[in-house]
Amino acid sequence: MSLSIAGMGWITPLGAGADLVWDRLRRGDEAHAEKIAGQCDGQSYTVFRVPESALASLAPHPRLRRVSLISRFAAAAGLEALANARVKLDLKIAERTALIFAISNGGVIYTRRFYRDIVESGPQAASPLLFPETVFNAPASHLAAILGITGATYTLVGDGAVGLLAMRMADEVMTNDAIDYCLVVGAEEVDWLLCDAYRRWRLLRSEAPVEPFSEIAKGMILSEGAGAILLARGGPLKIESTHACRYYRKRADAETVLKQILSELIEAENDFVIASANGTFVDQAEYRALSRLVPEALVYTVKPALGESVGAGGLWQIIVASQALRHEELPPLLHAPAKIRLQIPALRMSVRRARAAIVLSCGLNQQIAGLRLALDG
Amino acid sequence: MTRSTALNGKSGPARVAVIAAGIISPLGCGLAETLASLQAARDCITPVTRFSVDRCRCKTAGQVPDERVVVERNGRRGQRLHRASHMMIAALQEALTQDRQFKPDLTVVGTTSGGMSYGEDYYRALHRHDDLRRSPTWIANYPPQKAVIDAQEAFGISAPCEVIANACASGTNAIGHAFDCVRSGRYQRVLTGGYDALSELVFVGFDSLQASTPEKCRPFDRHRTGMVLGEGAAILALENFEAARARGAAILAEIIGYGISTDNFHLTQPNPSGSGARQAMERALESARLAADAVDYINAHGTATPFNDATEGKAIGQLFGRVPVSSTKSMMGHSLGAAGAVEAIVCLLALQHQFLPPNINFRAPDEDADLNIVANESRPASVRTVLSNSFGFGGTNASIVMQQFKT
Repeated sequence: MSLSIAGMGWITPLGAGADLVWDRLRRGDEAHAEKIAGQCDGQSYTVFRVPESALASLAPHPRLRRVSLISRFAAAAGLEALANARVKLDLKIAERTALIFAISNGGVIYTRRFYRDIVESGPQAASPLLFPETVFNAPASHLAAILGITGATYTLVGDGAVGLLAMRMADEVMTNDAIDYCLVVGAEEVDWLLCDAYRRWRLLRSEAPVEPFSEIAKGMILSEGAGAILLARGGPLKIESTHACRYYRKRADAETVLKQILSELIEAENDFVIASANGTFVDQAEYRALSRLVPEALVYTVKPALGESVGAGGLWQIIVASQALRHEELPPLLHAPAKIRLQIPALRMSVRRARAAIVLSCGLNQQIAGLRLALDG
Repeated sequence: MTRSTALNGKSGPARVAVIAAGIISPLGCGLAETLASLQAARDCITPVTRFSVDRCRCKTAGQVPDERVVVERNGRRGQRLHRASHMMIAALQEALTQDRQFKPDLTVVGTTSGGMSYGEDYYRALHRHDDLRRSPTWIANYPPQKAVIDAQEAFGISAPCEVIANACASGTNAIGHAFDCVRSGRYQRVLTGGYDALSELVFVGFDSLQASTPEKCRPFDRHRTGMVLGEGAAILALENFEAARARGAAILAEIIGYGISTDNFHLTQPNPSGSGARQAMERALESARLAADAVDYINAHGTATPFNDATEGKAIGQLFGRVPVSSTKSMMGHSLGAAGAVEAIVCLLALQHQFLPPNINFRAPDEDADLNIVANESRPASVRTVLSNSFGFGGTNASIVMQQFKT
């Protein structure tokens, strides 16, 4: 792999802007927990939402008129990544730019509304305006139209590992030297229906905070937003390898798969790890794999601060890794158990000696992926 | 975007062989039944039985009967799988029976809605305060990647899975990307294909758009009134040509070109000029290093909606003139994420058995498109090179070029 990160952008429950969110993470900020109510049984759920102010700077566009939040998040993050890279997509560059979109739950708000109308009132009540927005690739289509991308556009679906799988696919797409840039975007929106589903799957926590690496998995808090990374050939932040590993058959097997990935990605003791621990069974699998294979490595997870955004989560992790390498610092890991045996940054911590970061994404539905990001030279 | 001929710094692109294939669709279970249906021009559209369509305009679809879908595998675990998983298992089983040595480095599959009907079951139960004891099963088996992982698990395959959801172009995009992955030399063997199972949400969605028809599906006919939906799964095993030859694998055909374009005109409508479709086909030809007149048959996207067929017909007419064209969706419906893969197998059968698959229910040519439609009956023909189109919501357009392989 010879790709580099040319630009990045994100919109999160802690706001928007690569550096603004990073500063808040370094300060130890945590997203504001909000309650939303289920519409079928009145159950209430805790979520981390993107503040309205974070979308204020998104310029109007005809394609964004009726779209769901997920498409707005994607547009905001995608445009920021391009601006961050100082790349302007004119006709020629747009033709040589690919878009790969990572998604898990997709446009769940419109999908629920569309199907609710069918269930409550019958097919004749179904809205032809909502239906197209329920399709998984609708956000990618809007973003491609806004950016003028006319070549390869792919929407990749999967679990929480999909962001890293999208990075791997970007690497495959860029083996074609007719492509100069690949914009990888991950996005997700939160809805009570998703919360209900994850609750019934016993993966959701009713109240904040998220407690990573806890011996007892108390569950995750869902969040929303988007992350975007513009990949190019050449640059100081290199993607050294992506390991889209085999899936795990049972949750108990996740640890073994994580160990396989880690053993292939870890090269030096000074590398740090951006884990995907989110308060679920994932945490103990990562905990055991990390403490066995890289007991000296610093380990951080951003999910206590930003929540679990599934499709966007992997991109957020890569952005955190990039920022940590650039700023030579890791934010404090929030709400970790006092007796944890991993090396964690309890406070902001220097990673000046680190040349590389490992990003691990263990999804909730069988997929696991890893990536190694390094400072060139 | 022009596809480079010198990929990844290597002297030239690798040849890509199709070494095995499997299919389950309304046309039948397996390659033999599919071939028989195609040659007999069978109309496999039937009244919808999976959910009530009393209040829909359209009341028919191409359906795979349940008794053909559910494979007795994996014991109790198998009972929890979505029927999409069972279709994928059936298709993969057929492919692996042809080449038991095939171990993919990567799997790339297209779908649009995964196990959507499980999502519907869950929402209905929730909304009506019904029994939700099965909800963890519905939720865990609903995601689109699940059917792919289930199929791999059933045969002990552990390759990484890339699941592409590019609407109706998903299947062709998956094959195209898999082709690129082998062609670039990055992978030796890639499993690819597509799947989708009929669901109420999607059926009503197309009905709400009035894209589906209460009548017969008549692609490219002057009086066409819309599409009918379908379902199915299809798998192709791709391998580096030289590697396949070296190990003595049977080569069914070659994939020689892939084109992709994004048409930013509208979320659900193609550019009326046909530019998006044309660009995908041009790029596929360029990738295959072929002139348009080398193509002997086009399996069109041909959904039979007035607008889509007009734009595709215009693009085909401009590029290819009077090359034989058919939309086999007329026989089995539009299986969305599976369609590109199902139709790639239709093309494979056409190459192997030297015939043109039919476009049934065709009565009169469209006044605005001068196309050479393979009307109503299959016919023997010399078929060496074929092109297959898939165009989807979101403006995703994909075309692949396949070629006959002669030993």
